Amino acid sequence: MENLKERIAQLEDHIMKKCLWQFHSRAWDRKDQNENILKKATQLLCDEPVELETPLDRCYWADALSLTDSFQSRYEWLAAMSKEDIKLLMQGLKERIDFVTITGSLNAELTDPRY
Amino acid sequence: MPYHEFECSKCIPERKRHAVIKGPGEDLTHALPLGYLNTIPGSISERGCAYCGAKHVIGTPMKDVIHLSHGPTGCTYDTWQTKRYISDNDNFQLKYTFASDVKEKHIVFGAEKVLKQNIIEAFKAFPVIKRMTIYQTCATALIGDDVDAIADEVMEEMPEVDIFVCNSPGFAGPSQSGGHHKINIAWIKKKVGTVEPKITSDYVINYVGEYNIQGDQEVMLDYFKRMGVQVLSTFTGNGSYDELRAMHRAHLNVLECARSAEYICNELKVKYGIPRLDIEGFGFEPLSSSLRKIGLFFGIEERAQAIIDEETARWKPELDWYKERLKGKKVCLWPGGSKLWHWAHVIHEEMGVEVVSVYTKFGHQGDMEKGIARCEEGALAVDDPNELEGLEAMMTLKPDVIFTGKRPGEVAKKIRVPYLNAHAYHNGPYKGYEGWVRFARDIYNAIYSPIHQLAHLDISKDEIPVDKGFQTAKMISDVKLSGEIVTSKTLRQYTGKYDSVSDLRKKTYPEFKKSERSE
Amino acid sequence: MSCEIKQKERIGTINPIFTCQPAGAQYVSIGVKDCIGIVHGGQGCVMFVRLLISQHLKESFEIASSSLHEDGAVFGALNRVEEAVDVLLMRYPHVKVIPIITTCSTEVIGDDVDGVVIKLNEGLLKEKYAGREVHLIPIHTPSFVGSMVSGYDVAVRDFVRYFAKKEKTSDKINLITGWVNPGDVTALKHLLSEMQIEANVLFEIESFDSPLMPDGNSVSYGNTTIDDLTATGSALGTIALNKYEGGKAAEFLEKEFDIPAIIGPTPIGIRNTDTFLQNLKKMTGKQIPQSLVRERGIALDALTDLTHLFFADKKVAIYGNPDLVIGLAEFCLDLEMKPVLLLLGDDNLTYPTDPQIIALKEKVDYEMEIITNADFWELENRIKNKGLELDLILGHSKGRFIAIDNNIPMVRVGFPTYDRAGLYRHPVVGYAGAIWLAEEMANTLFTDMEHKHNKEWILNVW
Repeated sequence: MENLKERIAQLEDHIMKKCLWQFHSRAWDRKDQNENILKKATQLLCDEPVELETPLDRCYWADALSLTDSFQSRYEWLAAMSKEDIKLLMQGLKERIDFVTITGSLNAELTDPRY
Repeated sequence: MPYHEFECSKCIPERKRHAVIKGPGEDLTHALPLGYLNTIPGSISERGCAYCGAKHVIGTPMKDVIHLSHGPTGCTYDTWQTKRYISDNDNFQLKYTFASDVKEKHIVFGAEKVLKQNIIEAFKAFPVIKRMTIYQTCATALIGDDVDAIADEVMEEMPEVDIFVCNSPGFAGPSQSGGHHKINIAWIKKKVGTVEPKITSDYVINYVGEYNIQGDQEVMLDYFKRMGVQVLSTFTGNGSYDELRAMHRAHLNVLECARSAEYICNELKVKYGIPRLDIEGFGFEPLSSSLRKIGLFFGIEERAQAIIDEETARWKPELDWYKERLKGKKVCLWPGGSKLWHWAHVIHEEMGVEVVSVYTKFGHQGDMEKGIARCEEGALAVDDPNELEGLEAMMTLKPDVIFTGKRPGEVAKKIRVPYLNAHAYHNGPYKGYEGWVRFARDIYNAIYSPIHQLAHLDISKDEIPVDKGFQTAKMISDVKLSGEIVTSKTLRQYTGKYDSVSDLRKKTYPEFKKSERSE
Repeated sequence: MSCEIKQKERIGTINPIFTCQPAGAQYVSIGVKDCIGIVHGGQGCVMFVRLLISQHLKESFEIASSSLHEDGAVFGALNRVEEAVDVLLMRYPHVKVIPIITTCSTEVIGDDVDGVVIKLNEGLLKEKYAGREVHLIPIHTPSFVGSMVSGYDVAVRDFVRYFAKKEKTSDKINLITGWVNPGDVTALKHLLSEMQIEANVLFEIESFDSPLMPDGNSVSYGNTTIDDLTATGSALGTIALNKYEGGKAAEFLEKEFDIPAIIGPTPIGIRNTDTFLQNLKKMTGKQIPQSLVRERGIALDALTDLTHLFFADKKVAIYGNPDLVIGLAEFCLDLEMKPVLLLLGDDNLTYPTDPQIIALKEKVDYEMEIITNADFWELENRIKNKGLELDLILGHSKGRFIAIDNNIPMVRVGFPTYDRAGLYRHPVVGYAGAIWLAEEMANTLFTDMEHKHNKEWILNVW
């Protein structure tokens, strides 16, 4: 469990430093981005088919693929993980990202109903 | 202790929640400076107004437009020729600015008539230009002139012209950011969808939040063109009015400065389903990753990769020459908005400098989230800094260089801290691979300037070295480097030209065939 | 063949020559010691003016804003002034003088700045800052009236009106410089010192050419003190060099304290410097010393090298602050040049009755136009579309593209001159200024001849 937490922290650190997709300006967009991009990233890491029907799908996928490429090249331990474990890891990661960018965020503008 | 209290601001305790030190093991949920709140009067903040955010920052980079401010001449004069957003039509928008010259009698009796005359006169003076933007100012907003009605009237009488009105008087918001917002929303509401573009590629983007500072946009467009991507419009640097009316036809919005232009991307997503992809033109790795993502989106990632490989091979040895010499140098990253996060991590990773402080003049909390997430532990993050706080921070942090605006740069100069212009750049452009090397070169030249070194010598007290007729930057920077690095055959100093942009305008590009199916 | 004065015919402004009144008041405020102005209006009215002045002087300095936001625009913003004064006083313990400079927005909403000053004097200053010397000075500079020039004039008068007191009479004179550079102040003080005259110089901005010191403690600020300003009421006389930038203060002192005033001409060129020295002599009874005879001789020697060989018949356009433009035009005439177009960037109705302008009108023997309420389009349109041919443009940096795009040599002079290095350090006034101006013009013409291969070989034997 400690190991998982530590690994999640590494991935979280990578996302927070290198990515911008988790920082859209409103809570609903952040939720949407986190959900879709991390879902597709999980599918990519688990060699599952990824939906690419709509332009939005392709956009999430571009961010997701860019992310998983970095994960795989930076964190060698990923290769040794089972699909179940990866899913658990990514689920934990999503919870963390949701927390730091949405539910735990101190950004008072996230709930402004207008852009 | 997450929040940081400046000595000089103890008497205005509300300032305390505007500054944070990024503590070890802390994340964004522990502390975040307040942002985008009304400025404390008399604090000598560095903020501008909502008029300048609309007119000066976002409106005026549009190149084929008469930019008319409805008010006394001061607003126009003051925001004219203070930026370095160039354009490939001989900088028309930099050279010409228009004011309706509202005088006292108009304040009393209304200035709508005078505005109409102004519009007609301006088109008459520049018969080739058929597009105009009009910006409300404090005075004309307060007297209640109906600028939209006048614009409609003229458009009816002169069907060949098109006019955009932005109602963003100086007082409309805590800072220039209020104006960014207003012009974003006004543009999508009033102008997007009113022109149908010619689609020439299967891959069509809007390039948003890019202002062509010293040619940034043209550098990035070079990459997009090499990928066969059609850039329908740029919002707004080097951008064309009618192209921006056709934004609704893009397949993808590629967004750089989310601070000033995310609104229009968000609205375009809601209204037309166009995805928003946040990208970065600064730094080898973020730029490469951005080009790759655009390539992935369109299924042309090999074209992106070819550019990445070519450019990296050409410029990386030069970047690394500077990185070796900039390692450990302390930097205050004190820009207006987006560079806070665009630069925070990548100057550390790719140039080796330590960001000891970030600040934002007009950013929102979202910008601080990004900036703090990216900067290193221990960095001081300040929202809406003021003169004394800036000085106090420089005195305690002792940076080797700061990136800020022109006037705060003069403050830094006096305490012997060199500055680089974070808004307008020193010798930019700074986007693109070559641009990033230019940035590193400028930082190096600032820190290792022999004159800067002399500023630390007190001839009345210090031992004066009499054995040196001169020093070069290299003599200073290379003292502590290993022989291997100093004599490296692979690393080299910048080899580009003074003007790295003009040649791009003459370039030709391979033709990529457009498939039958699209559009 | 004559000189005509006309107003710009168009109603709007294409590329303004001047900014608005608050900018002039702000430039005045930085000349006063222990003073930080508060501009009551939107933040841009300060931020951009600070940028503009700092571009020109390559220095920083402090001016505050009351930061008018939406709520203030609707409900009145006097509370913002009260808070600004308090915040400023708390954080800048040295500050004694706070001009409160209005703008278009706060004049339109009708904020009673004079009233709030009374309120602050009775309340905040008595209660919280008892024992501290603080002067709050309302300065009304709505942007829709006049220009930065009249804003400067109004602010000088308001500072003087606030502080001037008749105490024991002194031998000092008041020298009101107008909107000049640090280098001009140095040159003027040099002339005074050669004449052994003591003066209150308004404003002492020499120190804006400030050093970068080893201890890193140097800041730039004006050096005109409260005592200097107070003493203006006891002076022997006032010389206001620029009638449009300081003339009001001289008139005030004359009316209020019977202090004789000589207003203008600005001492640009030999002749106007002679007049200035003559005026000093008249006012103080001091003789013009041999040292100045010699200085004048050096200037004449330098000018003689240039006039009939290079300057004669050269057509010049001049724009900028009115006193500067008139002074430059007169100097050009003495140099045998032909100023053909003068552009004054505001609608001051007294220009046609200005004696110096009348003299031009009556005595100039070739075609000359003086345009009031002018913008840069008046210049550019004449060059591009009406066949105006020029050999030289004299003016500030905002007109730079006219010179660049039309291949006309230009000497930067006036405010602002941010696109050339160090111009604030050089005087245009006095004999030293005459030399600098003439040689700058000559060298600019020479460089242009070389660029264009236009008889550049003539310089081989000069």
